[in-house]
Amino acid sequence: MSQVAVARHRPADNPFASHRVEGLSFRHEGATPHDLCQRLQRLGGRAAIIGPEGSGKTTLLEELALVVPGDPVRMRIGGGCHHPWRTALAQLPKPVTANHVVLVDGAEQLGPLGWRLLLLTSRPAQCLVATLHRPGLLPTLIECHTNHGLLCDLVSELVPADEKALSPGLEELFERHHGNIRLCFRDLYDVYAGRTGLYPR
Amino acid sequence: MLTLHTTDGGTWFKPGELVEGRASWHLEEETEAVEVRLFWYTSGKGSQDVGIVRVLRTDSPDTSGHRDFSIRVPEGPYSFSGKLITLAWAIEIVALPSGETERLDLRIGPQPVEVDLT
Repeated sequence: MSQVAVARHRPADNPFASHRVEGLSFRHEGATPHDLCQRLQRLGGRAAIIGPEGSGKTTLLEELALVVPGDPVRMRIGGGCHHPWRTALAQLPKPVTANHVVLVDGAEQLGPLGWRLLLLTSRPAQCLVATLHRPGLLPTLIECHTNHGLLCDLVSELVPADEKALSPGLEELFERHHGNIRLCFRDLYDVYAGRTGLYPR
Repeated sequence: MLTLHTTDGGTWFKPGELVEGRASWHLEEETEAVEVRLFWYTSGKGSQDVGIVRVLRTDSPDTSGHRDFSIRVPEGPYSFSGKLITLAWAIEIVALPSGETERLDLRIGPQPVEVDLT
């Protein structure tokens, strides 16, 4: 068993605490957020960020919210809602205007009817960007991918001093979570909380 | 520039005590408002929670000024750290709408150290 010895951290000081992880920026390969805004306009103002869980879709959506022209409306559709479409519509401003840019995180939770309701209700908005796991509902703005190198890069930003100690195990961690970097960070949180080694078996 | 300090420099307060001090600002341009906020927040493995206990708002302040504050600390929650989250207290001064902030971390509880739940 491989173990990484690190000092136990209280939750607020854990380098993989949610506030640290959410502070990481999206790693753009070529296209900057401004490039994506221009692409969004070319796609008619309706587009999707496609990618599997833990691939940075939410992070990118948050970055777009900072650069899109207009008034961003952030909507988060969580799993476990009895009526996700009601949750979604309740987050929309009334009325939706041409100045609004609607940013929907977790749009696949809506279901076909909820999705149509959202499209209809948000029609006056100048833009609609949704995160989705699969393409098809909207033109694709960008596809998010992860790889072992990306995980190493993000880990080295969060714990630069421990990069060498951690890096031998990151590939296995990445594989274990099928490329879901959010889940990798949750395991690494536990390592720094002193609860597990990097490879509990 | 924003500054914040308690009257005696202390950062540990028991439930029910008053947090007293002065918040000062020296801003480069006119601002809509300055707020002093006493709040708690969590951080750790899950999503963050925030509870704002009191807000003292000064509308249309001069570019330089100060505000003395006196805010009673509620009975809880105490400052603590567990396995999954830390609950911390702070008082902050915020210039609006710029969001420029200065924060002073506080410890709230019967003892001067945060409660350790691990």
